[in-house]
Amino acid sequence: MNNRTTTAESLRAATLGAFVGPSARLPLAIAGVAVLFVLGAVAPTYLGNDFVLRLGNEGLLLGMLALSVAFLMNQAGLVALGAASIYGGAGFLFAIAMSEWDFSPTGALCASFLIIAIYAAILGALIVRTNPLAFMMLTLAAGEMISHSVLLEGLRDYTGGADGLVVNFKGSIFGMQAADFASPAPFWVVAWVAAWLAGLALWAVGRSRLGAILRAVRENEERMRFSGFNTYLPRLIAYVLVNIVAAVAGLLHVLNAGFVSPESLGLSISTNTLVAALMGGIAGSVGPVAGGLIFSFAQDEFGARGLTQLLTGIAIVVFIVVFPRGVVGGLWSAVWLRALGGRRETS
Amino acid sequence: MLKIEKLSVSYGSVRALTEIDLEVRGDGVLHGVIGPNGAGKSTLLDAVCGRRRPTTGTVRYREQDITRRSVAWRRRQGMARSFQRTSVFQDLTVHEQLHLVAQHLGDDRLDDVIEVMDLVGYLDQKAGRIAYGVQRRVDVALALIGRPHLLLMDEPGAGLSAAETLRLFEHLRDLVRERKIAAVVVEHDVDAVFACCGTVTVLDLGRHLATGTPREIRADHRVVAAYLGTAA
Repeated sequence: MNNRTTTAESLRAATLGAFVGPSARLPLAIAGVAVLFVLGAVAPTYLGNDFVLRLGNEGLLLGMLALSVAFLMNQAGLVALGAASIYGGAGFLFAIAMSEWDFSPTGALCASFLIIAIYAAILGALIVRTNPLAFMMLTLAAGEMISHSVLLEGLRDYTGGADGLVVNFKGSIFGMQAADFASPAPFWVVAWVAAWLAGLALWAVGRSRLGAILRAVRENEERMRFSGFNTYLPRLIAYVLVNIVAAVAGLLHVLNAGFVSPESLGLSISTNTLVAALMGGIAGSVGPVAGGLIFSFAQDEFGARGLTQLLTGIAIVVFIVVFPRGVVGGLWSAVWLRALGGRRETS
Repeated sequence: MLKIEKLSVSYGSVRALTEIDLEVRGDGVLHGVIGPNGAGKSTLLDAVCGRRRPTTGTVRYREQDITRRSVAWRRRQGMARSFQRTSVFQDLTVHEQLHLVAQHLGDDRLDDVIEVMDLVGYLDQKAGRIAYGVQRRVDVALALIGRPHLLLMDEPGAGLSAAETLRLFEHLRDLVRERKIAAVVVEHDVDAVFACCGTVTVLDLGRHLATGTPREIRADHRVVAAYLGTAA
């Protein structure tokens, strides 16, 4: 009887520990996050000039893309090298739907979003079964195929070939005027909100049962199958989910830039995304977005000195050596350790 | 409960199992499988649980031919497996992993498993940070969740001392008896097998050598010659 009581108590304690956490500090944390959200959305539009805001906007979009790559790496142990094909692909589809299919802006947005989701589901169905290395190479191959297909002469009327496509739209999308998307300050607010929503959504998925299953599959797929789990479907869902985030980033990019070029599908965007994710840290939602911002500003700084590739390479090595868990992961660990040290000294 | 008929498994040109016939009843008796290295013991479990597809022969489980069924399907039907090399989720706490599997299999009596496997004091710890012997118990606990009808255990005593192995076997024997389920245990420690198993099968070079009670197996001169030697 005593034993049973002990088990029940231990179970309750473990459950609370795992799923509720330090609930006393929850309201404070929520208030802090809300203040950060509002400040981050508003302050840069007053403090930064158009140039800085443009860099910030690029950084946020890269951060969203990095978020999608980081989620898949962290939760499923899969590295995708074809993020740009989704990012640029969504932009091309939007432009084609507007210019060739005469869709309204909102209709074009929905159509391109749907096509990307279906494409991701089909591609994912074929590749998520494979081992992580094969998966990486297959995403690279699929991305390169898409990237080169827009340059095909037979598709030039649709894709614009090497020139890409200009997107001219009038009116509004979801209540926002076309001109606002092109303007740095209003677009910063849109990109900021989108990055937060994507981050929160992926954070919630990571904390959900699906997240727990993904991590368990990543760790020991065989044991999961021997525990009665379908190990294929959760990875497929995760793959489609992260591609939806990448597609949102791509659509925002085309709305902001007003054009889409073959470069947006290129391997360099995919590798930059990976670097941004690793620089910021893949363990949460903040790191990849921070990584995107750092990468964007650093690229500009390095470019001004005419040494973009060299300095980027050095920066990557330094970042990864100094912050193996990314900047955000490293800082978080430092703050956490200091807090623990302080608590020990107090006690 | 489990009926294996003319089961053969080949690895390329090498025959690991040759026409094995075996029947295990779900009467609460632990069924041991012993034999020298390379006898095909682990391959037998692999073929039964679906990890390796047999070359020929059938596996029948609860009157149903399951030879072509997936591992996950077999598990959901109550066929559970533990591994020779501990197979747990190193980065999850003991509770997280047991809870995840229990939730999936709809087992609301997780505390029974935790108690039986003596894991109460380890629930909050990550499996990768606990002692190997406790990890083995977590491995067995993962197999026990969902009230399986058939347990397949590949050397549950691997890496444990003789005393720990015997204790684990006694746990298993009591559990199997209490729940009236079937359990097939592959083990090198013949003392533990003879002490706790009701029936024993001996394999040698991929062939079935003998099946019987521990007393019968000890007295079987073919088993003594092929495997037990003076240990009998």
